[in-house]
Amino acid sequence: MTFAANVLNVVGVLFLSHAVYSAYEHSLLASRSTSSAVPSLPLDITLETLFSVLLLCIGVVLSSPDLKPIQWHVWAGRLEKSKEARLVTEVGVGGGNPYAALEERPGFWDVRGAQKAFGGWLRESGEKAN
Amino acid sequence: MLDEKELVLNPIVGESVQHNARTVSNIRALTASLFGVAAGTLGLESYPGFLFYFIGTAVVSVLIFALKADSSPKAYFFRPVGDLWVGDLFGGLMSFVLTWTLFYGLCKA
Repeated sequence: MTFAANVLNVVGVLFLSHAVYSAYEHSLLASRSTSSAVPSLPLDITLETLFSVLLLCIGVVLSSPDLKPIQWHVWAGRLEKSKEARLVTEVGVGGGNPYAALEERPGFWDVRGAQKAFGGWLRESGEKAN
Repeated sequence: MLDEKELVLNPIVGESVQHNARTVSNIRALTASLFGVAAGTLGLESYPGFLFYFIGTAVVSVLIFALKADSSPKAYFFRPVGDLWVGDLFGGLMSFVLTWTLFYGLCKA
């Protein structure tokens, strides 16, 4: 695809420079002629200009980088499917497991144990004060 | 409020949004100067020249829609009407006028 886009770009630039040079020559011709009326641009130069600009537009659009999906589930699904992206472990470099936050959650907090420890500390400090 | 709920249900990736906007604005900047070259070579003056620019940007929008966005702009742009079709309509106008006047001067003077 990129090769085709480059070919389109090169062909478009060639056509465009040819068309612009032709128009320039045409304007020189008009300035040399004795009649004061300036002839309009010949049809073939007009068509060549429009055609080359169209070619270049298609080439520029094709050679630009691909758009990325913005929906989170599509983006994450694509990331999960690609092997090299999953091997990346750093955060924020376009890789890694997008579900890491869900898969590596901390375990539940032992509320009863914490309560017991706090009670023990309370009792201990109370005994010390007495 | 509806928008916020929608975003919570279907979150979007900010990085991708930025990347897409940058890509589209790059394409627009490049093609705008190309349209300026064409308009100056064709010798367009005043309103026809600006009309040429707007027709050109519409063509580029259609090209992005067909070749880059797989005909489903909803998947690549948060607001397809704003970001793809009319978003950068005036962004490339200045570079268009620059190359337009330059090539008009080269080919007509």
